[in-house]
Amino acid sequence: MAEFLEVDGLTKRFGGLTAVSNVTFSVREHEILSVIGPNGAGKSTLFKLIASFLRTSAGEVRYRGERISNLAPHVTARKGIVRTFQESKIFKDMTVRDNVIIAHHLRSSASLFGYFIKSRAAVRDEREFGLSADRILEFLGLDGIKNEVASTLPQGHLRALGIAIGLATGPKVLLLDEPFAGMNHDETKRAVEMVRSVRDRGVTLLLVEHDMSAVMNISDRIVVLNFGEKIAEGAPEAIQQDEKVIEAYLGVEDDTIGL
Amino acid sequence: MEQVVVNGLYLGAQYALIALGLTLIFALMNVLNFAHGQLYVLGGFVTYTIYGQLKLPFVVALIAAAVTLAIVGALIERFLFRTVIRRSAREESTMLLAAGIAFFLDAVILLVFGEKQRGVPKIIDGVFNWDFRVIMPYDRILVGFLAILSIVAFVLYMQYSKTGRAMRALAQDRVAAQLMGVNVDRYSMIGFALGALLAGVVGGLLVTITGVNSGIGGPISIKAFMMVMIGGAGVISGAIAGGFILGMLESVGLTVLHSYGDITYLVIFASLMVFLSIRPQGLMGKPWG
Amino acid sequence: MTQGARIAWVGVFLAVVLVGVPVFISLSGRWDLYFTLTSVALLSIASGGVWLTFYIGRINIGQGAYALIGGYVSAILVVKYGVSFWLTLPIAGLFCVVASVLIGLPILRLRGVYFAMITLVLTEVARLSMLALPITNGAKGMTNIPLPGALDLFGVTVIPDFASLADVKPAFYYLSVTLMILSFAALYRLVNSRLGQLCRSLQQNEELASSIGVNIAYLRIVAYAISSFLGGIGGAIFAAISQSVYPSSFTIADSINFMLNCFLGGLGYVFGPMLGTLVLYFGWDILFQTGEFQLLIFSSVLIGLILALPNGLLSVRLTKLGGGPARRG
Repeated sequence: MAEFLEVDGLTKRFGGLTAVSNVTFSVREHEILSVIGPNGAGKSTLFKLIASFLRTSAGEVRYRGERISNLAPHVTARKGIVRTFQESKIFKDMTVRDNVIIAHHLRSSASLFGYFIKSRAAVRDEREFGLSADRILEFLGLDGIKNEVASTLPQGHLRALGIAIGLATGPKVLLLDEPFAGMNHDETKRAVEMVRSVRDRGVTLLLVEHDMSAVMNISDRIVVLNFGEKIAEGAPEAIQQDEKVIEAYLGVEDDTIGL
Repeated sequence: MEQVVVNGLYLGAQYALIALGLTLIFALMNVLNFAHGQLYVLGGFVTYTIYGQLKLPFVVALIAAAVTLAIVGALIERFLFRTVIRRSAREESTMLLAAGIAFFLDAVILLVFGEKQRGVPKIIDGVFNWDFRVIMPYDRILVGFLAILSIVAFVLYMQYSKTGRAMRALAQDRVAAQLMGVNVDRYSMIGFALGALLAGVVGGLLVTITGVNSGIGGPISIKAFMMVMIGGAGVISGAIAGGFILGMLESVGLTVLHSYGDITYLVIFASLMVFLSIRPQGLMGKPWG
Repeated sequence: MTQGARIAWVGVFLAVVLVGVPVFISLSGRWDLYFTLTSVALLSIASGGVWLTFYIGRINIGQGAYALIGGYVSAILVVKYGVSFWLTLPIAGLFCVVASVLIGLPILRLRGVYFAMITLVLTEVARLSMLALPITNGAKGMTNIPLPGALDLFGVTVIPDFASLADVKPAFYYLSVTLMILSFAALYRLVNSRLGQLCRSLQQNEELASSIGVNIAYLRIVAYAISSFLGGIGGAIFAAISQSVYPSSFTIADSINFMLNCFLGGLGYVFGPMLGTLVLYFGWDILFQTGEFQLLIFSSVLIGLILALPNGLLSVRLTKLGGGPARRG
């Protein structure tokens, strides 16, 4: 039986630089898997490869046995692999509610022409997407500001909106790119709860994150990258004690101190 | 066959000079100089006035054209582009300005020089004839040679002179260059002046061969764009490559496709479309974002 | 703007255009205004197409090519094959659609200046092609194009033969204005539908749009095709009015003017191109009296405007005629 999500020998070269080198791991359905590593380890590149925003140099990504890498990004998205963006990209000039409604586009069945002539499918979409958007906004605590223009939102709300957009697509796998970046302790706690409840809705989650305590708290499993290679994989407790991981994060310091 | 190649080289050298001017301006200021063709025409008319009408030596006329165009270019950058670039972040603004300047120059040229086709006496008489395999009038050879000389001079200047190095630094990374103390304003102006100068020089050279009239500004600009698209925008080697390739294509096309009517440019364009689908940044262009 | 106010404005506009203008013209005897306003209507259709390309984030300076192609397709079909003008109109449009899809596939992923450059080249190549292809009569152009014939539907003469009319000018005026209204109604609908939202998402954030499943390449081509269709039918009607079409009927200057019309009218407003075309056309016409200084003054004013309000020119709110900012439309 095919694995839920397989990353198989993924490699990406930019000219002379190898950003990701022969990375292999699997993701189980409904799990929360975090990808960590020092700066420049290739985590973002890995995400872009999985969501098909970059072409691979070698290797592939499979979802339920079907290759999803090296497709047009919107095609991979339509298969259920959706990514959010660092610094929470959103549609600045639209209202919060419109942002979420339009993100439902992934689930729409109407054609472009149908939108133009208000076909039955298009009308039905409008109605359903509106209801679904309201539910998502409420779930993430955004319904108080749903008619605000997105560009006016503070950081925390922007982050939540980014996740709302991801959720609206009805994803099978959601790739969250640094969801806890720049948050203080309380905000992180709330965000961790939010991410957990997203998983409870049936979404499998892949995270890239630097905040170690959040990662250890929330992850079922962790994959560690360094210099583009996978150096460890396993449960949080195991990773915390893995020598190679400790070395990767602290290695530079050792050299300079001279230990 | 040799004739086609020689013609192609001759055309290519002229075109490369035009493309170099355009690409320099683009590299420095990210501005597409719609008025580049008009600058060429201006150079041609200045040369016509000084050499053809005032009967002064051709060299004097060419230098006069170069100086005039450099001044015009500097003025355009200093008073028009600099203001707009400073005040607007949108690409459309500079494009709009460039379009306005193109119209303006067209109007001025029309008013000052009239709409008739103008020509000048040949600078050298006689025809080079190599066994009837290559036939080339001496003046074309001279003009071609001067063009290649200019290209070499330009490349050396950009490579080794202080000004040239400053401009290249500016073209590569505006912010970094500023941090290193490069005066952005000054070198933008010099660059635009230099770009205009190149266009004017080609105009001056070619007025001795094909003459000049006020209406060819637009089509010349278009050819310059095509060269830059082929070779890659903002890259010197790209401009030279693009220029010679277009010259060669024109030469080949005119000979080979002669029987089908003047569809040379249609074929070139169609090929350009195909080429751009495979390689949108041109031969040597940097992959734009 | 409330729905009621909007409808009122539309009503006023239609009344002025369809009734007010003809009445004014017959009362004041300014019959030349028919040609002026017909031109404005047709040029604004083409400009509307350019506006749509702006809407998907591209600077389109190639609409002149499609106007030229449309004009020639219609002229050739009417003159050489005796096809009814009314049939050539959609055919010209569709021909442009096919051409634009073929051209759009390679060039639409280019951005900003690069895309602008290639569209400018397109305009010139169209001119050169019309000059060179045997079917188009070369530099002599196509002249003596007969006026549009009658349009019979199910045995009923819906539109009379133009040659039988005492004065063709009002007829062409109504034709052009009707098509202008239809085109802009369609653009308005497009912008205010989900389709418009998708285009806006494209403008604001391509990657995000991809990640929510928008097929960016496809959307762009669809918009570009519609844009070219508008250019084509504008050109076709122009050929019918002038009863001639030459390789120089639409030049680089025209392509640039279409772009200018959009800028002047405001890129954020669907009806901007209509307003921009009106102002620029009348401005140019008024300057005609300055004789040889026409272009000089026109370009000087243009440069002056750009220097004075470089951003303002692109977003200046001249009027709320017809619906306000397309964003919240």
